[in-house]
Amino acid sequence: MVGTAHVYQIYIAATPEEVWRAITDSDWTRKYFHHTSFVEPPVAGAAYRTVTADGRDAVEGTIEEMTPPTPGRPGRFVQTWHVLYDAALAAEPPGHVEWTIEGVGEGLTRVRLVHGDLAYSPLTWAHVKDGWVWIIDALKTLLETGRPLPSPDS
Amino acid sequence: MDAVFRALADPTRREILDTLFAADGQTVTQLAERFGEMTRFGVMKHLAVLEEADLVIPVRQGRTKLLYLNPVPIEQVANRWISKYAARFTSSLVALDQHITGTEEA
Repeated sequence: MVGTAHVYQIYIAATPEEVWRAITDSDWTRKYFHHTSFVEPPVAGAAYRTVTADGRDAVEGTIEEMTPPTPGRPGRFVQTWHVLYDAALAAEPPGHVEWTIEGVGEGLTRVRLVHGDLAYSPLTWAHVKDGWVWIIDALKTLLETGRPLPSPDS
Repeated sequence: MDAVFRALADPTRREILDTLFAADGQTVTQLAERFGEMTRFGVMKHLAVLEEADLVIPVRQGRTKLLYLNPVPIEQVANRWISKYAARFTSSLVALDQHITGTEEA
């Protein structure tokens, strides 16, 4: 059965600020997010687009919220998510991607990712389901070891 | 990781995960209905263990709480424990199979 959302949670041995930088800064996203980067640095309320290493469109949407983490308050990075890297997925309506970055101890951060509003996007729902597990794994590996997770196909 | 193994050790909790895998984002009430033989309190006790292990994530949506399966801890267990030994298991199973087949043919 196709659901409306995927939810993922992981603990990363890094500060909330380090995790925040990794999800919002292209120098970091390139190292774990299938080599994709933001065309322009993301700004709250503005449109964004990400591209692959060879310049092809990956994802586009709007940055709905961009609240960096501060002591005692979780960071929130919320985007609409319209896939461009595949024609069939691009034909489906955009979903929502919400990162919540919360410090839960000295040098420990809880990262929650919700990819929602997928009720009318069954192909995207199925496609990103396992994809996010890999991204989150790669994010954790990069932040904890300083090295990117090798791609399964390389 | 101990919490994950403890959570997975119980058949009812594995069934709860299977139920969420089939239909993610259920309320406690919806979930409890599927486990009719068990009290709501019993289901909630199992959910507490699953949440402790991060295998189930409650997400607030207005006044309701929806339960989602978080596949990440299982992936970590697989990476840390299963893949390490799987190759050896597979090769010994193949050897066993050849042994059995050979015996039968003889």
